[in-house]
Amino acid sequence: MPASFADATAPLVERFNKSQSRIQLSVSRGPLDTDAVSDLAISSLLLGSSPYDLLLMDVTWTPKYAAAGWLEPLEQWLGSGALDDLAPGAELGNAFDGHLWRLPLVADMGLLYWRTDLMPEPPQTPEELVAISQQLQRAGKVRWGYVWQGRQYEGLSCVVVELLQGAGGRWLDQGQPQLNSAAARNVSRWLRDLVILGITPPSVANMTEADALQTFETGDAAFMRNWPYAWAELNRPGSKLAGKVGITTMVGAVGVPHAATQGSWGFSLLSGSGHQSAAIEVLRFLTSAETQTELNRRWGYTPTRLSVFTDPALIAENPVLPELQRALAASVLRPLTPIYAQLSDLLSREFNAVITGEIKADPGMEQLQSNSERLILSSGARG
Amino acid sequence: MRWRLWLLIAPALALLLALFIAPLLHYLWLSGHAQSVVTGLEPRPVGAQQWLRLLNDGRFWQDAGQTLRFAVCSVGLELILGLAMALLLHQPIRGRAAIRTITLLPWALPTTVMALGWRWIFNDPYGPINQVLQALGLQPVGFLANPALTWLALVWADTWKTTPFVALLLLAGLQTIPEDLYDAARLEGATRWQCLWRITLPLLVPYLLIALLFRLAQALGVFDLIQVLSGGGPAGSTESLALYAYLNAMRFLDFGYSATITLGSFVLLVLLGGIGAVLWRWRPLAGEWR
Repeated sequence: MPASFADATAPLVERFNKSQSRIQLSVSRGPLDTDAVSDLAISSLLLGSSPYDLLLMDVTWTPKYAAAGWLEPLEQWLGSGALDDLAPGAELGNAFDGHLWRLPLVADMGLLYWRTDLMPEPPQTPEELVAISQQLQRAGKVRWGYVWQGRQYEGLSCVVVELLQGAGGRWLDQGQPQLNSAAARNVSRWLRDLVILGITPPSVANMTEADALQTFETGDAAFMRNWPYAWAELNRPGSKLAGKVGITTMVGAVGVPHAATQGSWGFSLLSGSGHQSAAIEVLRFLTSAETQTELNRRWGYTPTRLSVFTDPALIAENPVLPELQRALAASVLRPLTPIYAQLSDLLSREFNAVITGEIKADPGMEQLQSNSERLILSSGARG
Repeated sequence: MRWRLWLLIAPALALLLALFIAPLLHYLWLSGHAQSVVTGLEPRPVGAQQWLRLLNDGRFWQDAGQTLRFAVCSVGLELILGLAMALLLHQPIRGRAAIRTITLLPWALPTTVMALGWRWIFNDPYGPINQVLQALGLQPVGFLANPALTWLALVWADTWKTTPFVALLLLAGLQTIPEDLYDAARLEGATRWQCLWRITLPLLVPYLLIALLFRLAQALGVFDLIQVLSGGGPAGSTESLALYAYLNAMRFLDFGYSATITLGSFVLLVLLGGIGAVLWRWRPLAGEWR
């Protein structure tokens, strides 16, 4: 698992190992970066006999790994009720092709961070976000209005997914790309306009989550798109913005439910594992309500179980939980397909071209649409 | 006695076979097979289909152009700056040993570390360069937000890191040139400039060639610097062939096409080498430099 998760779960793993003598659990501390963890996992899986039994997986990996034949279906071990206790939104992205491949440990979803000291209410629509930003910028309260992830990478795809859904559009509909739709064109034009209007700095074209957080943290921006981890960072003792930040879901068109790109992490059982029943026992323990409660209390990790979200004692300690639960309920998934990485690569590349002004929004979306169609056709995969 | 000869070179041959020929043959085989998530990672023979796809893949050719442009510009700069640096380091100045060590530092840094460093230096608006610009009352520059500037940033970062390597090679070359050649030339009244053009450079040619070959081979396979600094963006304008092959293998799990891209790059490299060799043989200065 990624280093941060390995560190956070270390005390739990130790307790698990002490509580019984049959299973000795050891955790491989992978790199921090999601892609680097994937590289490590894939390299070991390609060798045929992976040394691992369980893998902590990002939500977008599941169909790819399942199609590669690396995962073991979980329903035979956990039964059909395995997802029953999950909060709405957290159950998404674990099943693919009729099988359950993954049980989520931590939920993650795109959030709109806003400054409670600068405005009474967060914006609901893209137009409101622009208006509030410009007003604050004119008044000299902030240098920029809104910072987000515009670098050519997965983060940009996440930004687009929730905006597209909020504009009434879809990435894929029944396997077919819908990227030259009015909604997609509007979203790409809006993102470009944010740069032209000076609401978003031009450097957004190379901005990741960490870069956006840095700008927002210094008080330079009124809004930020980021994941829940930023909440703890912004409210830690000594932070300039402690107590001055609110979270809500991404803006969307009037009458369309707001959307939050889901990005959870969960455990999968590897088909090459020689200790499957022991691994399932570990999986149960590591995704249990008890584990999730502890991870939230100590590290601020967002739970996936309803019983944890609604635990009054935990809410008293962490009052932002209900807001996170609401955002999770607005979850939208990135397309569940083995060729997701290719689709996302095309999308982030084209949107990045629009944002930097290399291509206009309309022709850009036409190009993205035809490239995506060609990819789906040539791979013969269902989207 | 012949078999003894073979016995002696056998270890080297085996190594070459295992590390170079075998992977090459495997890739050749793989480029004729579809092996991806779509096929459940089972290799499926597809003939020349992936090669046709490569020929028609605009992204491959765009990346090839971008990689070549990057390599030629950064290696060119490195040779010029490296030569200047080597000439400087060859002078008997005080503290020479210390200076030599210091100039080597950028080269000793792992590429990812220095790429992260440069990403921060070029950061808009918090990086040091933009802090200076803003202190002077100027607008910050989005170095990594615009294709042309990002490309320059990449060339610059690469030049910064590998110029010391070139300088080191050339310095070794400089030290092999006997002093009496210069003494003789000076007796004949040659200027410093003439010494440089007529003695130093011609005798340095083998070393320049080695540096050129080493650096070109590395620069044409550039991966980590780009992956960290720009991720191939903005808008794919800095994606290299190695990055494209990596994306196909590790992100898309399309091993067949990734192998085809790698072999395609290999073919282009061999062609380039061939052109270079022919040009070298026909070089106009051949007579003069012998």
